[in-house]
Amino acid sequence: MAEAMAPATRELSLQQALNLALSELLAEDPKVLVFGEDVGALGGVFRVTDGLAAKHGSERVFDTPLAESSILGLAIGLAMAGFRPVPEVQFDGFAYPAMSQIVTQLGRMHYRSRGALRMPVTLRVPSFGGIRAPENHGESLEAVFAHVPGLKVACPADPQQAYTLLKAAVRSDDPVIFMEPKSRYWQKGAVVTESADWAGARVARVGRHLTLVAWGAMVARCLQVAELATEDGVDVEVVDLRWLKPIDTESLAASVGKTRRAVVVHEAPLTAGLGAEVAQRITERCFGTLRAPVERVTGFDVPYPSGDLEDEYIPSIDRILFGIQRVLEYRRG
Amino acid sequence: MAEIPFPLPDLGEGLIEATVLEWLVAEGDQVERNQPLVEVETAKSALELPSPQAGRVLKVYGAPGEVIPVGDPLIVFEVPDDAAGIVGTVPADGAPTRRVRLSANLDDD
Repeated sequence: MAEAMAPATRELSLQQALNLALSELLAEDPKVLVFGEDVGALGGVFRVTDGLAAKHGSERVFDTPLAESSILGLAIGLAMAGFRPVPEVQFDGFAYPAMSQIVTQLGRMHYRSRGALRMPVTLRVPSFGGIRAPENHGESLEAVFAHVPGLKVACPADPQQAYTLLKAAVRSDDPVIFMEPKSRYWQKGAVVTESADWAGARVARVGRHLTLVAWGAMVARCLQVAELATEDGVDVEVVDLRWLKPIDTESLAASVGKTRRAVVVHEAPLTAGLGAEVAQRITERCFGTLRAPVERVTGFDVPYPSGDLEDEYIPSIDRILFGIQRVLEYRRG
Repeated sequence: MAEIPFPLPDLGEGLIEATVLEWLVAEGDQVERNQPLVEVETAKSALELPSPQAGRVLKVYGAPGEVIPVGDPLIVFEVPDDAAGIVGTVPADGAPTRRVRLSANLDDD
C-alpha cells in the first residue's frame, strides 16, 4: 500500500530502479521468485536485490549454489510448474555455463510443447564493460542471445528504462534475457513509476542530420556525442533500441528515413555483432534515401581486455565522432 | 548505507586461524581498496591484509594477540547504497572531452 501511494516520480539510480521494480513485482504476483548467486542474504553484488529477501521472504528471494546451469534448470522447471522466475546470472561471462539450458530448453520449451508450456522467465544478466572488472565480467552477449529462437532480449539505458523494461519483461509470458548495463548502475535519473512506454525503441534525442543507434551504456555516450556535434553544426538523433530482439525496425526506418544517415554503436566485437543486423534492417528500408552506407563503431574482434585497456576497447567519443565524419563525407561513385 | 562483512580468509593453504598483531586502521576510518588493514600472523608467516574494497570501517574484531578462526568476522565495512558494488569500480562521470571535430557540407539537407 505504501508503494501504491508513493509519488509518481522518484530520483533513483539504475540499481535502485531495478530494486523497486523487483519489489513491486514480488508484491503484485505471488508466483514471482528471485534467485541466483548472492541475491538473497547479501542482496546482490550490485545491491540490486538488497532487502528483498527480508521484505518478501527467503522462500521467494533466495541464494543458489555457484552453478549457472542449475540456476537456469531450476528456473525452467519452476516455470513449467506455473511460477514466474527471475533468476540472475551474476556476470555476463558466467552465462556461458548456462548456454545449453538457455538455448535447448528455455528458448524452445514453448515451441516444443506446441504451446502447452510457457516460459515466463526473466534472466537478469549484469552486462557489458566499463567498471575495471576482471576477465569474464565485461562481455557483451546480445548477439549470442538474439540469435537464439524463442528468446526476447531487453537492454535498459537509464533508470526509467530499467524500471519500465524490467516490469514488462517479468510480466511477459516469453523468456526474456535482461541485460543490465553495469557501468550505469549508479547513474541517477527521474523514474515515473506509472510509465507504460515499454514497447519498441525510443528516440532519446531528436535530430535532423544523422541517427545514432545504441543500447545500454552506449546510449549515454551517444547523447554526449550528440551534444558535442551541435558545436559543429551537426544535429544528431539518438535512438535507444531498448529491445534487441525483436528489433523495432519501424522506429529505425522512421528515424533514418528522416535523417538519411546512420551509425550503429555497440561495445560487442564488430564481426557478426548486432550492429550488422541493425545496419541491414536500416538498409532494406531506407536504401533509396540513405546518403551513405550505415557505419558501425564497435569493440574489436578480440577478447574483452583487462581494465587498463577498457577505454581503448569501448567506443570512445572520438571514435564515434570519426564514424559520424565518415558518413558525413561519403560521396557516391 | 549497506554493511558488508569481511571474514578472515584462509591466508595459506589449509590454515585454520591467524593471530592479530596490529590494526593499521581504526573504526570510523575511510579506507581505499588494497589499503593495508591489519597485520596478522599465521602458522606460516606474518603479513599485512589488503582491503578487498573501499568503504568506512564500521567494526573491527580481535585485539592484538587475539586468535581469529578462518571464516570468523574480521571487519565490517559500511558503504553508501549507491556505491556498494563489490566487483569493479564506479566509473567517473566527468564532463565529456573530444579531439575530433566534424566538418560537413549540410547545405543541401
